[in-house]
Amino acid sequence: MSPAARTVEHVTCLGCGCACDDITVVVKQDRVAETRNACALGAAWFGDGRIPQDVRVNGRAAPLERALGEAARMLGAAKRPLVYLAADLSCEAQREAVALSDRLGAMLDSITAAAAAGVLAAQRRGRAGATLGEIRQRADVIVFWGVDPVARYPRFATRYAVEPRGLEAPRGRGSRTVIAVDVGAGRGPADADARVEIAGGDEVDALGVMRATVQGRVASDEARFRGSAELAGRMSQGRYVALVADGEPGAAPADPDRAEALVTLAQALNAPTRCALIVLRGGGNRSGADAVLTWQTGFPFAVDFAPGFPTYRPHAGAAALLAAREIDAALVIGSPASIPAPLIGGLAGLPTVAIGPRASAAAFKPAVSVDTGIAGIHEGGTAYRMDEVPLPLRPALAGPPTAAGTLRALRERLGA
Amino acid sequence: MSAAPQLRVSGGTVHDPANRVDGQVRDVCIEGDRIVDDLPANAPRLDARGMIVMPGGVDIHAHIAGSSVNHGRRLLPEEHAADPAPAPRLADGAVARSGTGGTIPSTFTTGYRYAGLGYTTVMEAAVAPLAARQAHAELDDTPIIDAGCFVLLGNDDYLLRQLAAGDPTRARDYAAWLLGVTRGYAIKIVNPGGIARWKSGGGAGGSADRNVSGIDDPVGSSSVTPRKILEVLAGAANALGLPHPVHVHCNNLGQPGNVATTLESMRALAGQRAHFTHLQFHSYGGERGKGWTSAARDVIEHVNAHPEVSVDVGQVMFGPATTVTADGPVEYLLHASTGRRWVNVDIELETGCGIVPYSYKEKAAVAALQWAVGLELFLLARDPWRVVLSTDHPNGGSFLSYPRLIRLLMDRAYRDEQLKQVNQRMLAGSALLDGLAREYTLAEIAVVTRAGPARLLGLKHKGHLGAGADADVTIYADDPDRAQMFATPRYVIKGGAVVVEEGQLRRAPAGRRLAVRPEYDAAVTRDVQRFFDDYACVAFANYGAEPVA
Repeated sequence: MSPAARTVEHVTCLGCGCACDDITVVVKQDRVAETRNACALGAAWFGDGRIPQDVRVNGRAAPLERALGEAARMLGAAKRPLVYLAADLSCEAQREAVALSDRLGAMLDSITAAAAAGVLAAQRRGRAGATLGEIRQRADVIVFWGVDPVARYPRFATRYAVEPRGLEAPRGRGSRTVIAVDVGAGRGPADADARVEIAGGDEVDALGVMRATVQGRVASDEARFRGSAELAGRMSQGRYVALVADGEPGAAPADPDRAEALVTLAQALNAPTRCALIVLRGGGNRSGADAVLTWQTGFPFAVDFAPGFPTYRPHAGAAALLAAREIDAALVIGSPASIPAPLIGGLAGLPTVAIGPRASAAAFKPAVSVDTGIAGIHEGGTAYRMDEVPLPLRPALAGPPTAAGTLRALRERLGA
Repeated sequence: MSAAPQLRVSGGTVHDPANRVDGQVRDVCIEGDRIVDDLPANAPRLDARGMIVMPGGVDIHAHIAGSSVNHGRRLLPEEHAADPAPAPRLADGAVARSGTGGTIPSTFTTGYRYAGLGYTTVMEAAVAPLAARQAHAELDDTPIIDAGCFVLLGNDDYLLRQLAAGDPTRARDYAAWLLGVTRGYAIKIVNPGGIARWKSGGGAGGSADRNVSGIDDPVGSSSVTPRKILEVLAGAANALGLPHPVHVHCNNLGQPGNVATTLESMRALAGQRAHFTHLQFHSYGGERGKGWTSAARDVIEHVNAHPEVSVDVGQVMFGPATTVTADGPVEYLLHASTGRRWVNVDIELETGCGIVPYSYKEKAAVAALQWAVGLELFLLARDPWRVVLSTDHPNGGSFLSYPRLIRLLMDRAYRDEQLKQVNQRMLAGSALLDGLAREYTLAEIAVVTRAGPARLLGLKHKGHLGAGADADVTIYADDPDRAQMFATPRYVIKGGAVVVEEGQLRRAPAGRRLAVRPEYDAAVTRDVQRFFDDYACVAFANYGAEPVA
């Protein structure tokens, strides 16, 4: 290590929803030189920590004061403003964003809208869940439902669910049975102890058959559901079962009933045994946005402040309003790169203010942009693991003005 | 530097039981954020003539912030849609926040509504240490009220290991360390050992019982029992000199026949201070499958005879509620028996969380029994200082139902009329049917809603109006309809700021946090860190609720 190097320990990585907080970041010459313990995805998320620090109005460099003034003027004049929360924000910035939305009477939405099916299913039915560490301690049967976490959640298996030893899994992997359920093209882990195959179109029906089996009913004796029924019997025999599914959108759109069928199966399994459904969520503190919006407004996403109080518009959020051209100005907060493509098109034709990491490079060409740091790399505060365990952030690098601070300054200009 | 603002609340009828003031007309003087003995004659006045003046309300047990509460909020979009809360218009141009209500309001609305009810201090009764950071963040977004956190410890794996190893001193040091790092106020026990069993699994490979049913059931190790957990943690709280003793939610909540467990738990802690919470939910006779009866008399007689015991009632009020508790196995049973929406979240190495939205209906036999049991406890209690008011918000009903509860206690005719409306099937043997004539006085209401809880919490600056107390004052119109009176205070003063004027919320200063930081032998942290290295999924350095460097 060169004399100029310094290390920051216990850093929380927000590269995915695992939020591993055991990263040691080595900094040399104001760059991230090394991210010990991080997976490839995490290392890519940290990068070298260099980040643009531009402030622009209509594409030209401008002083921050002028940018904030212009942003306040645009947003204050809007009749139907949108505030959109993308990734890489601390909870502190998200809290500022909700306050600003309240003041503006804005439509407030977040990237959680892309994972709405799971959120809505949990609102209709509830959930049978656990924090990830409880899976580590207890689970003796782990069923990966159409997902191999290694691709999008690389350390999930080594850090939480499968490999590590737990209080009631003293031999770690050896104490557990791992079952892969291949649903259409969605394959479970290659090294599973057993596999079950389900045709993509049969997924929701198979979950129904499994639930019936768990409840001692016979729903179907069709051959295509035999494997599912046997799996349900096997899960019923487990001591503590973890059912792991991906909550983020995949290449092919999922059946809208799938999320609810997973919840009710997991709930039903708590009659014969214990079961927790783990819904995998992406990084950048998107789970934090759900939590913050819920505590400040009562709703997890798609909150419309236009009536003067929070109203829930889960089926008429940012995507729908942009598509219908109802929005006349937008404030986009967080990393523009995390925004789903369909929204970019809707934002492109609007007067927009972008505040966040690499905001100036946003594809929708914001009228006002303020580059901030990335929560967890340049900005401190709090972020949530995918299971909503709050973790402190330990920024290894200094950065431009923070998102939370910039939003506070904008709010003050708006008299809020 | 300007002098601290002064205010003389003049000519009101004051109920300040901690200072033995019972309905005397006198002035209450405020300078800055404190009560003072006197002020210059020309100090600003608030004319309270004809009005009732009390200390600000103190809620000893409610669920208003934190991960479990927020899971509950998320589960209730319909309730929130039905109860919008526009931002109040504040004086001095300050900007308030909008929100939503229902049984679990959004954070800002929670603060405004508690203050609007004349409450200025609220204890959040169940904080999982792992998510303490969230509880504090939510409380930071809950204006006006001062708040403290009760930290869940009765099913904690590290703690249970110390008990199995026969090391109560280490257990005490651990509790002290945990209270400090989570910025907690008191030790909370929920269903001691029962949640640990619930989490240890079922099916062919698990234990037959997914809960404990008595206080001598083994929990993992034969040397760990609910009794042991109660003894060690009660002893720890007392030895550490915590302002509030151990706060106990007994085993078998909501089960017929649970009176036996409740009394055994109280006897197990005989001679040392302990607080038993939402006692109503733990005071049933009968047995499962064979009907329920009231056992309120047996329980309250024990409480009456044991001055070291304090309780809050956990009254059930008819109407919507949300049951939210760390007691996971209980919520499973409620879900299984009602088919209602259900949330369960097992929380690693510490505790659990269960939620079922619920509604108490007058025509439902069990709800009627629960309602009656709570009232019996209140009406048969001899010492209001030790039997204080709660609904276990939002479990037995919202805190917004406190005024109706107060009227039930103060107005026998109103109570008897309600009693006629409820399902009578399980009420045989209830003392209510014997015609309990007692009506609480305003002085007694002042005890059970502020002076008593403050004293039980060890909050020396709360719950009274003597010199040096926090300037938290509530002023009511003397309305003969006591529900109306307590629902709409005319003025509420918090920390010297007049937050409610003429019944309208006008100011919303930030609340303060109440926390303890007991001393402990630092050797425990090295041992806890080893346990973290072996089992935890959060870095030891990142755990807790303190700011990181």
